[in-house]
Amino acid sequence: MKTTVRTVGQVSVVDLSGKITIGEGDVVLRDKVLELLDGGHSKILLSLEKVSYMDSAGIGELVACFKKAREKGGTVKLLKPSGKVEDLLQLTKLWEVFEIFDEEQPAVASF
Amino acid sequence: MVSATTVKLVISSEVRLVDVVHTASEAIAGIAGFEEDDALNVGIAVREAVINAIRHGNRMDPTRKVEVSLQARPRSIRARVRDQGAGFDPSATPDPTFGDNLMRSSGRGILVMRAFVDSVDFKFLEGRGMEVTLKKNRVRGKTTRSARPSAAAVDNGGIER
Repeated sequence: MKTTVRTVGQVSVVDLSGKITIGEGDVVLRDKVLELLDGGHSKILLSLEKVSYMDSAGIGELVACFKKAREKGGTVKLLKPSGKVEDLLQLTKLWEVFEIFDEEQPAVASF
Repeated sequence: MVSATTVKLVISSEVRLVDVVHTASEAIAGIAGFEEDDALNVGIAVREAVINAIRHGNRMDPTRKVEVSLQARPRSIRARVRDQGAGFDPSATPDPTFGDNLMRSSGRGILVMRAFVDSVDFKFLEGRGMEVTLKKNRVRGKTTRSARPSAAAVDNGGIER
């Protein structure tokens, strides 16, 4: 999985591409979110548009990132999950946990 | 009479090998005639079974093996994943969508498996580990051009053995 970070106002938008899976994408995601939080960037928007799928480890890492951000007074929100990722968020009912947006502008404005 | 196509894999308990099994599972689903999206569902379900076998069955011990059998049948796919662990009671697994479990960072593997294939059966084999069998039937009419089953397969009424 690849990540690129853009700063939009006070929000760090993390564009993820590839798959968030055990031993690979989950580690990349964790490291990137921790790096942002440790650098004082507490408003994090994970863009999932180009994530093809996740497994249970990747889903677990999303939850771990959400909790870690909250511990540090920050927030993790999700942008544009689609296809299999959307299915998995609904299946696991994490749809009810995360704030999820279809468009970037209102997502950024929501922080 | 169309015979089943079978692939068997034996891997050590290393998470970097999960992708190998996932890729093989999707490929075998393709051979069984599943469309791309359903083949990915099969791949994800088998992937979860292998992750469970490595993490919870074999406790990440790389000297312990995970055996995987993938079988493309005329109208379905069957996958068996066996670890070398002490077994567990799948019915005792907490519902990951309930209450505080929602915020746990693990425990969703069986939920994902059950969602993406038609049946998931666990069996503890005394002295030989836990075996999970996953089955998914191909929806009639959803056939890839490159893997269309023969007339003999269609004529069997979809009955699997």
